[in-house]
Order: sequence, then C-alpha cells, then structure tokens
Amino acid sequence: MLTLLPQAIIDGLLLGGIYLTVSIGFSLAYGVLHIIDFAVGEWIMLGAFLGLYLTAWTGWDAMLFLPAVFVVFAVVGWFTQPLIQRVTSGAKGRPVLMALVFTFGLALTFRGAAQTVFGIFTHSLPTELAAGSWYWELGPFMMTVPLVRLAGLVYALAITVGLTYLLKRTDLGLAIRAVAQHKDAAGLMGVNIQRTNAVVYSLYVGISAMTGVFIGAIISLNSGMGPDLSLFAFFVVVLAGMGYLPGVPWASFLLGLIQSFFLIFFNPSWTLLAVFTVLFLILLVSPTGLFRKGV
Amino acid sequence: MKRIFLIGVLVLGMVLPGVALAQDAFKIGVVTSLSGDLATGGNVTKRGYDLWAKDVNARGGIEIQGKKYPVRLVYGDDQSQAAQAASAAERLSVQEKVDCVLGPYASGVTLAAAPVLEKYKIPMITGSAESPLIWRQNPPFKYTFGTIPPVNFTGSGVIKSLKALPDGPKTAVIYGTNDAFSKATAEAFQATAEKEGIKVLKFNIIPVKQDMTPLMSAAKALNPDLIAFGGHDEELINLVKALVQIDFTPRFLLMHYGVTEPAFIEALKKNADGVLGGSVWNVNMDIKGQIGWPTAKAYADAAMAEYKVPSDYTQAGCSAAGLAFEAALKQLAVPPPLDEAARTKLVSILEKIDIQTFYGRVKFAEEGEFYHSNAGLTPFTVQILDGKEMVVAPVGLAQAKLLYPLKPWKQR
Repeated sequence: MLTLLPQAIIDGLLLGGIYLTVSIGFSLAYGVLHIIDFAVGEWIMLGAFLGLYLTAWTGWDAMLFLPAVFVVFAVVGWFTQPLIQRVTSGAKGRPVLMALVFTFGLALTFRGAAQTVFGIFTHSLPTELAAGSWYWELGPFMMTVPLVRLAGLVYALAITVGLTYLLKRTDLGLAIRAVAQHKDAAGLMGVNIQRTNAVVYSLYVGISAMTGVFIGAIISLNSGMGPDLSLFAFFVVVLAGMGYLPGVPWASFLLGLIQSFFLIFFNPSWTLLAVFTVLFLILLVSPTGLFRKGV
Repeated sequence: MKRIFLIGVLVLGMVLPGVALAQDAFKIGVVTSLSGDLATGGNVTKRGYDLWAKDVNARGGIEIQGKKYPVRLVYGDDQSQAAQAASAAERLSVQEKVDCVLGPYASGVTLAAAPVLEKYKIPMITGSAESPLIWRQNPPFKYTFGTIPPVNFTGSGVIKSLKALPDGPKTAVIYGTNDAFSKATAEAFQATAEKEGIKVLKFNIIPVKQDMTPLMSAAKALNPDLIAFGGHDEELINLVKALVQIDFTPRFLLMHYGVTEPAFIEALKKNADGVLGGSVWNVNMDIKGQIGWPTAKAYADAAMAEYKVPSDYTQAGCSAAGLAFEAALKQLAVPPPLDEAARTKLVSILEKIDIQTFYGRVKFAEEGEFYHSNAGLTPFTVQILDGKEMVVAPVGLAQAKLLYPLKPWKQR
C-alpha cells in the first residue's frame, strides 16, 4: 500500500486546499471585524448558485464567472456590513455575541430562502477542468492529480498570498490592521473605520462566493450545503488560532492530510474521529491554535 | 349585546372546526424529511403521498358505509434527524390525533418514528425506507409496514444479474456511508458478492458527506471490476465526480438507490450514463392496477402533469402506500376518527391485504426476515442509458441490453 503514499499526500493537500478556500475569508472577517460569521457557508452556497445560473444561461465554463461572482457578492457584502455594524456597536454591548446571533439569523434566512427559490436538489457546476487530470507512474508509485482540485488549491494559495500582500504592503492593509488592533486609536489617526470595515466585509463575502463556484465544480452544491462548510471553516480557524491568518493554510493542510491518510491507509470509518481527536489534543496543549498566535 | 356576540363567535370558532374536520375526513399523518440533508428524497416521498391524496379525493374519497370520506394529509417535518422524527410522530399522535401515518423517506428516521407510533398504536406504511433493520426488530414493529422491499432483497438481485453476465465482475470494492440505509446496502452488496464468488478487495463504511477522492484513489490502485456504493443522492453525485476527477472508470459502477432519482442525471449529465442501480418499479413496466391508477404509465403521466419531473420507484412506492391504506380502510368500514380498536383491526387487515396496483403487487409479509415489508415485488437491475433509466435485467423484464464495460470518462 506504500505505493499510494504520494497519492495520499497529494489528495490531502488538495483537500486541504478546499478547506483553505472555505476558511480564509472567515479568518479575515474574524481577525479584523471580530465577527464569527456563521453565514460563511451560506455565502458560499449563494455564490455557487449564482455560478450555476450563469453557466446555465450562457453555457460557458463555470470558471469564467469567478470575477462576476466576486463583484456581485462584494457589492452585497458592502451593503450588508453596515447592518452588522449597527447590531454590534452602540449601547447594546456584547458585540461578539450579537454578531454571532445576527450572522446565524442571516444564515437561516439565506438557507430557507434558497430552499424555496432554488429547490432542494443537488447540482453540479460544469467545467472543462473537471474531466482533466495528470497521471504519473514512477517505479512502484502512481499519482493522479485532478485538474479541477489543483485549480482550487492554486486559487486558495493565490487568495492567501493576495490577502497577505494587501495586509502587509498596502496603505489599506495598514488601515485594516490598525482597525483590528485598536479601533478607537485608528479612528483618531484618521482611518475611516466604517469604510475599512465595509471593504473587509465585502472582500470576505466576495471571496466566499467565489469559493462556492469551486466547491460546486469540485464537489457539488445544494441549498442545504452551508452549515457543514461553516462548521469546517470554524474548526480550521480555531486550529489556526482565531484571527491568525498565516496559520490558516497550515491548519487546512493538516486537516486534509489527516483525512486522506485515514481514508487510504487506515479505517475510513474513523476519519472524522481522527480529525476531531487531533483538533482536541492540539487545543488541549495549545488553546490559542497551532502556532499559539490566536486570540 | 356586543359582548355576547363576541363570546358566541369565540365558542363557535372553538367548536366548529373540531366537529367539521374530525368527522368528515380521514386524517393521515406524514412524517418525512422536508428539510435538512435528505430533503431531496423527502420531497420525492411528499410528491408520492400528495399525488395519492389528490387522486383519492378526486375520486370522492374512501367509501365507508355508503358515504365517501376524503383524506387530509397532516405533515410533520423530521428535518432529516431521528430525534425530530420521533417528536413529529409524537405530535401527530397526541395533538393531531391522526388515524394512520405515511412514513419517512430515510431508514434512520423511520427507525426513530416507528417506536412512538407503536406506543400510540397507530399504523404506519412507509413508501420509501429500505433498511432491513426496520423489519428485524425484536419484538417486531407490529404497526409498521413498507411498500418497498428491504435492500438486502433488491440489492442482492443486482449483483446476481451482473455475475450472470458472460464477462461479469470478478473483483469488487464496496463502500457505504454510515447511516442505516446505506450501511445495509453496502452489507447486502458484500454478502451477495462473496456468495456469488466475486472477490471483495475492500469494504469500508465511511462517515456521511466524506470527501471521496482519496477513497477512489485507493480503489484505483486496486483496479476492481466493480465499484458498488451504498449512499444517498448527494453522495452518489460526489462519488461519480470523484471518479471522473481521478480518471478511473471501473467496468461496472453500481449504486442501487438514487440513480433513479431525476436529480442524479440532471447533475451528472453524460457522466450518469452506464451507472447501475437496483429497483422494483419503472414507468415503462407493463403493470395493471385494480385500485387507483390503471397502469404504471397512467401514474407517471399524472405525476408528470402535476410536478413536471419523471417518477421514480420511491415516489411510486409512496403513492402505493396510500393505495394500501385506501384499500384497508375501505375493508375496515369504520368512519373517521378511528379509535384504538379500529386501528388495531386495521393492522390485521393490512397483514391480509393483497392488491394489484400501478406499482405492482402489494402483499406484506406476515413473518420471517422481511416481516411487514412488501413481499409481492420482483427486484430488477436498472442502468442509465442516454439519460434514461432502463431495466436491463432479469431477462423477462429487460427493456434494453446491459451496457458494459463502462465507457471511460474522458471519451464521453
């Protein structure tokens, strides 16, 4: 069975790529806005459905619509953020809890609406990439790399690098980090807090919606897909350290690799047990995540 | 004066609905998955039940002592969760006081609803659940019946028909997801394969909604003739996509349930072609019904006109469950609402019932391994050919030739 070792690593990394796409925006939203957005799965679902309808109308490849899906949902995010701002600020107190309740409500509303409007069936996003794969045989080892999953991994890494660049190298990034560290002080230094928050939230919603197109192409989509994705995003982000963006890729790949190794080499029935045991043990030893950098 | 008028209206409002509704119609509860993970299948069952209710009411209702009583369905959503199924069954029994119940889509939730209905002595017919566990309880569920035979009965037929091919499968990899139905399906595949001399290279039960690409990579390395999988609709779609992505086409791909669901073909398009399944009913079958729809085709046409989707055996099984109640209630000849004695008598009538419907014969087994499930049907093998579900075995029922080996994904 050792001949499958390279395959297990590849499958694990590619699966990790999917988790990374799901979690990166979520981590950004928490790190900057201090919002645990339980609607992340629903943003992904809505993005996937927009992709599905666009491909059905035009007959083009789903991947061509990534920019369109991003723009549409960035605009939606831009107009949603002030609502969250209103709920989490002011005299009400407990902003983290209020945000949790609000986004949970948002998730339920979106899911219910989607079930009514889009129906309950499972769909698949058509893309030429889905049928493609690279295959090698090297001595006793054999490897298959599915192109659509590879595209998902490249997308995830590109988003991660892009966000890191934005945060570390641009004025907007400086403002975002300033707001994340100390909102009031940043405001006194002339940073427009509301606008900065709206930019971050619209980025996050746009990225999540694009992720939906990938998930729909790689796995499948239906109106009830949200909660599982939200839950996994939450696990990844907790493992990475809440709000610590550079930890997210490592946490995603770790979860992906654990799963693929259990599925291939051990008893597949224990996969989820293994994932959660590892998560539990890591948090027991280091409650602030893999790198002890979380909140 | 005004006050008296108001009180009068209130009193009338409280009394009238109770009087009017309880006496004039059979109140039939339905527990099924209208939301949650299994909502796709849950809505298939809903279509089946609704179609029967519409049909019987269009015929004036069920005739009892010369008077016709319509049926009224009262839904309880089990949200695809066992605990919710039990509470929905409790609500239908205690608050709604239903006369009988049409059962859930999934086996896991059926296993949770059945004991509650057993407690309140309310007969249930499920038109969908297929796990053999439902019929193997000790003591058995006296009040639960099912129109679809258990999967160890239907699933084993498919493997046998593949083995009978001149160049049938010699090796197999078998997976199932971890729920009552899917696990039973995988176990039935495994038991039959071993009995038929097909070597099972790998058998695993995996968590629900698990990403299946690594599993398929492992299967690819073993290069089996047959991949057989027990799961629900979304998982089946994901499995085919995983196989396409890692570019492995086994000679046979068998999934039992779900391939007959219209969503499977819609989502996978040309990649659905060639996938095999087991079934007990199909729109093209030559069946004559004595009660309700006269033929399978008449049923399919009525369903198409109402819902604009093709009918599958689950939907048909659900409508047939309604027909079984219809026939039994007519024999019982007690007007609604039914008391405990009448409901218990309804159970003994159901045990004896033997009717020909558009769905085939409905005759519940009175004892043995398949106790209270439908023993009147012959299972057959279906295959998706050019986007249509066709019967390919056994010989007497086949509408098309079983196409094998599976056409490689890249050549489609």
